[in-house]
Amino acid sequence: MDELIREFLIESHAGLDQMEKCLTELEESPGDVELLANIFRSVHTIKGTTGFLGYARLESLSHAGENLLGLLRDGKLVVNAEIISALLDLLDSLRAVLRSIETAGDEGRGSDEVIVARLLALASAIGSVGEESRADAKDRSVLRLEPAQTSSASDAQNAAQSWNAADSTLRVDIGLLNRMMNLVGELVLTRNQILQANSTDTEFTPLARRLDMVTADLREAVMKARMQPVSHVFSKFPRLVRDLAQQLDKRVRLRMEGQETELDKSLLEAIKDPLTHSVRNAIDHGIEAAEVRAACGKDREGLLVLSARQQGSHVIVEVTDDGGGIRVERIRDKAIERRLITAQKAAQLSERELLQLIFLPGFSTAEKVTNVSGRGVGMDVVRTNVERIGGKVELDSKPGRGTTLRLSIPLTLAIIPALIVRSRSQDFALPQTALVELVYLTVEESALQIELLEGAPLYRLRGKLLPLVFLNRLLEQSSGDEALAGCYIAVLNADGRRYGLIVDGLADPEEIVVKPLSAALKRIGLFSGATVMGNGELALILDPGAIAGRAGISLSVDEGEEPSPGDTVAMTESEFLLVETGATQAALPLNSVLRIERIPRSRIEWLGGLPLLRFGSVLLPLEDRSHLLHHSGQVGPGQFDPSQVDNEITVIVCRDGERHVGITASHVVDVASGAPLLEAGTQSIAPEVTLLKERVTGVVNLSRIPALPEPVEVSA
Amino acid sequence: MSRSAAEDGIEMCSVCVGDTLFGVPITGILEILDKPAPRSVPLAPAHIGGLVHYRGEILTAVSLRSLLGLPPHSEPPDMLVFEGRDGYFGLLVDTVGEVLTVSPQEFEPNPSILDDRKRALFAGTYKLSNSLLVMLEPDRFDPVLLAQ
Repeated sequence: MDELIREFLIESHAGLDQMEKCLTELEESPGDVELLANIFRSVHTIKGTTGFLGYARLESLSHAGENLLGLLRDGKLVVNAEIISALLDLLDSLRAVLRSIETAGDEGRGSDEVIVARLLALASAIGSVGEESRADAKDRSVLRLEPAQTSSASDAQNAAQSWNAADSTLRVDIGLLNRMMNLVGELVLTRNQILQANSTDTEFTPLARRLDMVTADLREAVMKARMQPVSHVFSKFPRLVRDLAQQLDKRVRLRMEGQETELDKSLLEAIKDPLTHSVRNAIDHGIEAAEVRAACGKDREGLLVLSARQQGSHVIVEVTDDGGGIRVERIRDKAIERRLITAQKAAQLSERELLQLIFLPGFSTAEKVTNVSGRGVGMDVVRTNVERIGGKVELDSKPGRGTTLRLSIPLTLAIIPALIVRSRSQDFALPQTALVELVYLTVEESALQIELLEGAPLYRLRGKLLPLVFLNRLLEQSSGDEALAGCYIAVLNADGRRYGLIVDGLADPEEIVVKPLSAALKRIGLFSGATVMGNGELALILDPGAIAGRAGISLSVDEGEEPSPGDTVAMTESEFLLVETGATQAALPLNSVLRIERIPRSRIEWLGGLPLLRFGSVLLPLEDRSHLLHHSGQVGPGQFDPSQVDNEITVIVCRDGERHVGITASHVVDVASGAPLLEAGTQSIAPEVTLLKERVTGVVNLSRIPALPEPVEVSA
Repeated sequence: MSRSAAEDGIEMCSVCVGDTLFGVPITGILEILDKPAPRSVPLAPAHIGGLVHYRGEILTAVSLRSLLGLPPHSEPPDMLVFEGRDGYFGLLVDTVGEVLTVSPQEFEPNPSILDDRKRALFAGTYKLSNSLLVMLEPDRFDPVLLAQ
């Protein structure tokens, strides 16, 4: 395509995006002169350039729009909903023509007479209808004067800022960025190999450290270049919300928070559809009609909040409405009606688990199918899309108060934490997002505890049957008739499918750089990519979802073992890991325990008076409950109380929300279920304490463990 | 090989697989890797020799030996790197020899005695003074095409 036309298309699209944003804002503050001027400028620019390039359709469209906008700008006409709708339609027509130029190379054959006539009619209404509506609109603009002025002031500021930004920015082809990311990944691998290499040269070590630092900084810079603020996706929602609300005859106010939060471009693209879906759902099913809201004593106007924030290595995007919420009984009844679950099974599920049924394929509670949503494809698609990029979806709902859908998205796709597993002497990478826990079986245990049901291997995990998949048999590395050796079961949860993957061995977890596979190998279907490990060897990345599919593992409903922060102090009986910390015992919520490690004391490091453990480049804050580490201000790393004979301690690694923390203990006693205790007088559940094996035991509150002092990551 | 000879001849990189001498026009070769130790891929078609790490990418290597239906070789293979439709790909051969210059007059199309499979792989034959050189066209070994 002609460079000139390409430039024109990019600029026009940007101008129209800006116009769309301004139009929806204009509806909020109809008197805002600055906004009108902005819109006028966008249309005027398009008109000017199209005349020059010879696009007749675009010219006639933008001309009609410019006429109307001119009258609005000069105050001869006052903005009303009708005008905004017409201008939004004009916007759509302009976009359609631009798209046609982009794909077909010409303006296409459509007719613009209707929209042009409509714009002209609105412009000519200046004398007759305009008079009275202007009178009452004037009142409105006076009333709105204050907020409008402040917003126009800040807009002017924004305009100045964006001008500066445009001056110092550069458009870069995404392909080039991807290539840079690849090369940086390559550099990281080379660096890893250099760091592992031994050299007697005294110069070598400082040089290697320097290379290490520069590589880490470079990687961060390139990743940053791929980041875009979520406002790129959020900006289309004001229009969507406005259109939907009109269509459904509801009143909805949209509030957006954290628009400056940044996310990798490819991930931003990937969450666009799930977010749109969730917003549609919130307006269609969540927010009630104005009369219903008034009857409930709520504001007639519903509130929809879109928010984004960074939390550790994830970005949390939330869609919150203050609508009717989800009634759990209705979900249960629908699920039973649609035969997604048996009535028997439903009776055993907790409220939280019932709520998760909404993510099953083919689920919809809408009383009637509207053309906005309710066709039964919805939440499962949201979940699949988000999990495909390594994210998570959670749903919270309070009947009568509203619903929150929380998407947790990793900051970047290109580098993921993975566990390296071994199958017949070949290493494979298993993404940790799907990993729930690991179970080790000795030779005797694997012979006894892996049970067969009509040939299907099963394992009893805490009393529940877990279907098993032998990795080496699945990959046809083994026929399966040889004797079982000691093995690990990686308990996985892939898109709601829960199973155990049996592997021959484990190696250290690694942060891996994901590389695509050629089309010829993608066809195998079990691998999502390949990676080069720290030792320079190649490893294929396993796709837990595809393995489940290949092995015929179906969706299980009762996967809900994911702990939410509020679960740590449980209302009902729950399982705890009982550990001995010095003279006392303490309980850890079992569902937050990730793994238990024996660590030599010399591995403990100190930062700002707080104990830390370092795994490669990842830091783990430690809670030293019983002062097992005997830290006094003067004792540096590596120097320890010589009277301590036992030089290893136990560290229990737990999950606290998104972050991981470690708790030191002398040893692990048992797993037991604890009952809640009530406080005398108040009869409320006593926090941080439970009845465990007939003894009152303190529960470790993981969220109290202090965060790491900055910086969190030592190096990449 | 002198440059003057190249003007009226085609420069071929000679490679050996089994007892046959093959030639690949050097213009299409990006790089020759000496025993890159490909990582095998479970469940992959037999002609896929494995994965090789090459300049930040992971490329798929095709084994000429398996394509010809020969048993695995005792020595680790060498690899030629080409650019295909779907990025780089590799061709694994037993050994890479010297560059030979052949002239178009020595060319003959595939003899009819070859089976269809081999006829599809080979581009023709150059008659050298003391042996035959089977010409290979890199495009025919693109894993994307072989998969079809």
